[in-house]
Amino acid sequence: MALSRRDFLKTSIAASTAATVGLPVAQEAAAAVKASEAGWQWDKAVCRFCGVGCGIMVATKDGRLVATKGDPDAPVNRGLNCIKGYFNGKIQSGKDRLTQPLMRMKDGKFDKKGAFVPVTWEQAFDEMERQFRRVYAEKGPTGIAMLASAQKTVQEGYAFNKLFKAGWRSNNIDPNARNCMASAVAAFYSVFGTDEPSGNYDDIEYADTMVLWGANMAEMHPILWSRITNRRLGHKDARVINISTFRNMSSDIADLELIIKPNSDLAIQNYIAREIIARDAVNWDFVNKHCVFATGPYDIGYGMRPTDKYAFAAEKDVQAKELRVKLDKYEAIAQRRKEGEVVEQKNTANPAAHWLISFDDFKRAVEPYTLDFVAELAKGDADEPLDRFKAKLKQLADHYIDPKRKVVSFWTMGFNQHVRGTWVNEQCYMNHLLLGKQSQPGNGAFSLTGQPSACGTAREVGVFCHRLPADRLIANPAHRAYTEKQWNLPARTLNPQIGSFYAKILRDLEDGRVKWLWVAVNNPFQSHPNINHWLKAAREMDNFIVVSDAYPGVSAKVADLILPSAMIFEKWGVYGNAERRTQHWRQQVMAPGEARPDLWQALEFSKRFKIKEFWGEQKVPGLKAEGYEDGKLPNVLDEAVKMGYSPGATLYEVLFATPANRKYRWPDPIAKGHPNSVATLLGDGWFPEKALWQEYVPFTRGDGKDLADFDVYHGDKVRGLIWPVVDGKEVPWRFNEQYDPYVKKGAGFEFYGKLFKAIPRGDLDKVTDPKPVSVAGKAKIFFRPYAAPVEQPDANYDLWFCTGRVLEHWHTGTMTRRVPELHRAVPAAVLWMHPDDAKARGLKRNDLAWVESRRGKIQIRIETGGRNAMPRGYTYAPFFDEGVLVNKICIDAACPISKESDYKKSAVRVYKA
Amino acid sequence: MDAKRREFMVHVAQGTAVAATGAMLWLYMLRQEARAHPFALRPPGALPEQDFNAACIKCGKCVNACPYDTLELAAAGGDLPIGTPFFIPRDVPCYLCPDIPCMTACPTGALSPELKDINDARMGLAVIDLENCLSWRGLRCEICHRECPLKGKAITLETHPRPISKHAMFYPIVHSDACTGCGICEKACPTDEAAIRVLPHKMVQGRIGEHYRLGWTFDTEITQDFRPAQPAAPSAPPAAAPKRAPGMDYLNEGGL
Repeated sequence: MALSRRDFLKTSIAASTAATVGLPVAQEAAAAVKASEAGWQWDKAVCRFCGVGCGIMVATKDGRLVATKGDPDAPVNRGLNCIKGYFNGKIQSGKDRLTQPLMRMKDGKFDKKGAFVPVTWEQAFDEMERQFRRVYAEKGPTGIAMLASAQKTVQEGYAFNKLFKAGWRSNNIDPNARNCMASAVAAFYSVFGTDEPSGNYDDIEYADTMVLWGANMAEMHPILWSRITNRRLGHKDARVINISTFRNMSSDIADLELIIKPNSDLAIQNYIAREIIARDAVNWDFVNKHCVFATGPYDIGYGMRPTDKYAFAAEKDVQAKELRVKLDKYEAIAQRRKEGEVVEQKNTANPAAHWLISFDDFKRAVEPYTLDFVAELAKGDADEPLDRFKAKLKQLADHYIDPKRKVVSFWTMGFNQHVRGTWVNEQCYMNHLLLGKQSQPGNGAFSLTGQPSACGTAREVGVFCHRLPADRLIANPAHRAYTEKQWNLPARTLNPQIGSFYAKILRDLEDGRVKWLWVAVNNPFQSHPNINHWLKAAREMDNFIVVSDAYPGVSAKVADLILPSAMIFEKWGVYGNAERRTQHWRQQVMAPGEARPDLWQALEFSKRFKIKEFWGEQKVPGLKAEGYEDGKLPNVLDEAVKMGYSPGATLYEVLFATPANRKYRWPDPIAKGHPNSVATLLGDGWFPEKALWQEYVPFTRGDGKDLADFDVYHGDKVRGLIWPVVDGKEVPWRFNEQYDPYVKKGAGFEFYGKLFKAIPRGDLDKVTDPKPVSVAGKAKIFFRPYAAPVEQPDANYDLWFCTGRVLEHWHTGTMTRRVPELHRAVPAAVLWMHPDDAKARGLKRNDLAWVESRRGKIQIRIETGGRNAMPRGYTYAPFFDEGVLVNKICIDAACPISKESDYKKSAVRVYKA
Repeated sequence: MDAKRREFMVHVAQGTAVAATGAMLWLYMLRQEARAHPFALRPPGALPEQDFNAACIKCGKCVNACPYDTLELAAAGGDLPIGTPFFIPRDVPCYLCPDIPCMTACPTGALSPELKDINDARMGLAVIDLENCLSWRGLRCEICHRECPLKGKAITLETHPRPISKHAMFYPIVHSDACTGCGICEKACPTDEAAIRVLPHKMVQGRIGEHYRLGWTFDTEITQDFRPAQPAAPSAPPAAAPKRAPGMDYLNEGGL
């Protein structure tokens, strides 16, 4: 099998075509290539970029990275890469790579208004420590924060998480994954009680219908897209449906394309549910055995600040909707209310609350979602006849309902970055569960991830302000106790108060709550919406911002201290992709200059602090939890002494270089001679990446999230493993008895996740019996209504604006814009708009225009053709370009449950620059 | 036929099959020498090369009118008539201004005002080096396709299943009936040397014989009112048989 996979590379049509003009030349060229490869050493690794998680091979020679290739043995990509993956070998060598700590200085001293000057690591950490102590003394654990990342390695995420939560007793650590898949997580929790998808990428090869909901996979998941395309072309009944607010490249393969209005996906899902019931297609055997029905409050706000104190004047009208909303005619029907009714948003504090309802209630709730109602509400292309759109909606329902068709629904940011992101995720499961098309090969709702280790690092390790490793929650006393035990901490060391989520950390910076911020492996001052606020907060407030990065991006530019970081192949690491595949790699080369791995930064910095500074009593404003005095974290130092810790022990000794961890020695034969900068720089003989991995894996075992031992993943034949790994075997489909040993024998299916499995009973509007009922083993089928986007085009701001990515660039472009070829290919962001909309504003292709929203304005060139075709009234621009900071115009509304920002729905006006 | 030869012939056949899918594919073999070649890509609307050289008064107005600094004037000592405008797409391609300022600025019609729509410009034709095109090798690149201002017309993607790897191939294909030769694809191509390049049409395009029509491109219903050609006017009968007649040499000379 391995041989035949390799063979295809040689026998592809392209190679044979070339042979028509010069076989001898090709042979000579091949011989020359072979000679140039002398002395190359290959090792397996993983692509740096997206959540697909392609396997690559990396070649080094004389300590230099000389080449990469798609790994033919990697089941994800079978030797292929996209154009970003093709450039893995060049991302580390940009001309402006940061190689020295840089600090703002004036007259030889740190000064917030000073200019960046190179300093030593010692100087950098000295100032960082001084500022940390100043802020911690003033503000306690809530005054410090980290904006973390789904692109950190698992060990980096684990170490920073532990340093913040166990060492500094602060839960203010939240990843950029918050803006990527938090809505998916919230729905995994509420529906299944455990995070991450049931299926895996092989679903593609079993599916008959693949539905894309707000996922332009052709560009954003390029390699999976070629698998989907292959399925479409190679299987005569396979069909692809693309649902989007504008025509994108995924429509090129799609058999059915639905161009819809923003947020109308909520209504379309309910239309499908209504059809399932109307056509008597509910899979009652599955639903009765494995599901219950549920709903929750509608008046949950839009994730904006509850006050307009910080709002720009132009923002105030939209911000006011956080408190009360006037229902439009569609919402009125969809929520069984009256048009024009003003609804106080009473459930902003507890938006995730939910309760059991009866099937009859559920049926009554979806009743208003008729074809006529939904078609009128959802049709996004003004130029499409209503009848044609109706026919498409019906076909969409046909695909889901047809008992002979296996259906996979894929989604990413269209669902997740959505003011009702959690709801729309839950709705997708709703239809799969009603039909019993879940957790089987080719049947299931499949949440794709955007980032390379959103699953592995952010989610599994729990690098969130409300999470602990492996589906454990800060708010759950048993979970805190378990974690304290695993980490060998005195009871009640962990802070029971949920920390600030990503957006909140930036808001805290603006209102002075957070004054010491560490940013690593993400670029919030370019990537978070409504950045005019945060840029100003960073530069004008009394705070200290540390940015660990490999290149000088916008966040580094507004920082006070920049720490030069090692990049992916300059350190050991682990990423976990969207199909639960955990992939490890070894360090291949050394980082340039003084650039050092983030893991070393965490560990080395932790040496400067002693447990007695943090494990005494700490003030935490607003803390309220059973067993804790209000507003305080208890003194646990005496308990620590009883456990054998010295009060003067450093966080490094207590949290990281523990006696158990020091048993993993460096050098280790598993390295096969590869270097380890972290171990070498620490210089005390242990192997931090392996030790921390081994410390982490017990969290995952026995609960259906089992990871294997470090050395297993480094086996030559292993190309990552899909968890849970039980008795050395992967589980390709979770919750399905046929594949998953965690399912009770004879149950068929069991949704055994444990979170939120005891809930009250109620009707569509409220809880009627607060006594919790156990729904163990079951998945919840939620009714969630249509709700309108909080900001919509009006007379002043008359166009929709949506942002996202392009294939050529990764996120904020700090890496891909350093690859000259990718920069040449797509040098700048452009604004896609309908040619008629451009013409009406006196604009044509390539003209420079202003795009202005309530929050700011940007200059950008107009594109009326190319890869995206916008319906009239809609515009799109990617966010990779630091020359065009599109997040100046994006609204920072969010899903109130998941706190994930909605980047897809801002109102703007466009005019000639 | 030995095995190698047979394999080669199969490859040829496969290559032909792909080429026959309605696309303009041509293996560009002059890779390294391209820059030194005596050809020029002229601004949009340029007359055929000889007429252009005759009409162009080397005034440089088109160069000044170009908002992107795409156009250069040929220097002395090169292969091009000195002072005539041309562009090198890998440096700066033509960005297809809808108002065609270079043509509008041309005082002589060397850049012909007949060009009303910039998309009708035919400055050259993009050709793909199949051996070094990443997409033709199976990677998901296709930058040329996405960046093409006439995406879906001048460059399309053809998808082919590839069961052995479960990943489909996405082949970019250039169509000469829509390609303007702007060179944005050549500029954007991410390989070290561009694997897609714009060349003058005559260096690239073949021509099928006038005597043959592709079977699927014309309706060929049997003509029902067939009109035979008029017989030639009868001439006077020859006075005597000619001395020579076709075929006699072969018939009479040489052995068997």
